[in-house]
Amino acid sequence: MPAKETSAGSAIAGRAIGEGFVLLALFAWWTLARNLPEFILPGPAAVGRRLVELFVMPEFFWQVFASTWRVVVSIAAALLIGAALAFLAEGVPSLASVVDQRIRPVLNSFPSIGWAILAAIWFNPGDFGVIFVETAILIPFCLINIAEGLRNIDRELMEMGESFTRHRLRILWRLTLPMLVPYGLAAIRIAYGVAWKIALVAELLGAPDGLGYLMLRSETAADSTTFLATCFAIVFIFIVGERLVIAPLERRFAPR
Amino acid sequence: MALDEIAPVETLRSRAAIPRNLAAHLFTLIFLAAWEAGAYIAPPYLLPSPIMVAWRLWHFVTSWRDLFHLGASLLHVAVAITVSFFIGALLALLPYYVPVLRFTIERRLGPFLNAFSAIGWTLLAIMWFGVTPLTVIFAISAVLVPFALVNMSAGLAAIDRDIIEMATSFTRRRARIFALVIVPSLYPFIFATLRIMFGVAWKVTLTAELFGGNSGLGYMINMARQEFDTATIFAAIVLIIAFVHGMDRYVLGPFQTRVSRHYAG
Repeated sequence: MPAKETSAGSAIAGRAIGEGFVLLALFAWWTLARNLPEFILPGPAAVGRRLVELFVMPEFFWQVFASTWRVVVSIAAALLIGAALAFLAEGVPSLASVVDQRIRPVLNSFPSIGWAILAAIWFNPGDFGVIFVETAILIPFCLINIAEGLRNIDRELMEMGESFTRHRLRILWRLTLPMLVPYGLAAIRIAYGVAWKIALVAELLGAPDGLGYLMLRSETAADSTTFLATCFAIVFIFIVGERLVIAPLERRFAPR
Repeated sequence: MALDEIAPVETLRSRAAIPRNLAAHLFTLIFLAAWEAGAYIAPPYLLPSPIMVAWRLWHFVTSWRDLFHLGASLLHVAVAITVSFFIGALLALLPYYVPVLRFTIERRLGPFLNAFSAIGWTLLAIMWFGVTPLTVIFAISAVLVPFALVNMSAGLAAIDRDIIEMATSFTRRRARIFALVIVPSLYPFIFATLRIMFGVAWKVTLTAELFGGNSGLGYMINMARQEFDTATIFAAIVLIIAFVHGMDRYVLGPFQTRVSRHYAG
């Protein structure tokens, strides 16, 4: 009993220190920003105001929306293509080496800026180029996870399924896909993080709108307030998406 | 009985091994042929032919100026991995020794660092430090710290409590326990972390160098882009793929397997 009480006490202390740390960081930022020109480090209040504007004013909100839907479409496309490649390697043994020794290593080590530059050369600036780049960056993460899932499938369960039906689609739908769900979710979680953190580079080179474009534009215009607000907007969207979409999905499909 | 059942499968597998590699080589050939055909139709600034890229690659490895840029990128990656590994490991050790800081590190600092975008760090560093190697190293390190933090925390959480207890019964000196018990049991995690960081570092380095560097492969790619010298861009990409994959496959991978086999038991 006493042990539990001390742990609850230390949890409260830990939480207090955590929130205190945030306040301290904000205070340090504020003091630092007071003595520096605005284009180097704007104050937290100015950035906070701009952050609110980003989600309220139509011209900024459109940038947020443009980036978000591209990220969502890219994750879906990467998941589909990655899964298709993984199934190909698993289902057609003679093609396994093509996927495992050629496609996966190349996609996995391909520099993300390489895709962005190639897309800028090949396509007109716009949604297609950005989605192409983001998808290309995300495919290896999805491919590796789904392939791992296929490797870990319970053979006994598949055998049981085959003894019930000869219908392969039925086995796929009732057995293979449900067993892959945890791996698919892991793939989505990783792809989601990489998309916001790394794949956004696509919007720096080949997009007429979006958060990446907004960042580059405000950086060239030395508008640090908008720039920092965009950075925090990404942090905000990232955490909200993870809490409201990915975590509930994982809870829903958690192995029971 | 069981042996009889296994044996034919084994021979089947070894016989199938040759055509399997054959498929991979065939794929490479078909890919190169398709590339050549595409290059035949498209102008060279859109798609240079594989022969042009190979030629440029040969120039690359024989030119000191190009090799200097490769060396600069390597230096950026090495310094950034070292710096961010120590910062990440320190941040992971902090809640281990001072549990009251766990919430601060794991729920406040960690998610923030984890969600901050690489481009944000890069452009921020350009505003603060200008176009210098420091900008590049800062940007890569900032992206890598959360990877080190998460992996090292997982490693610390996996340490066997009983072994620590045993060590405490032998000595009261915590530095001794740290050096002789905690660090060795972290070895598998340290190498796994370094391997992941190496892969991510290369994904970010070129971006940082392209926007905020005055040396390195990213800078070189940027110059080539402005001159529509697409062959150089392709050569740099091919070189990076070969280098990253080669290091991962033939150096880091075997090393990690060896270390984990030795220490994880």
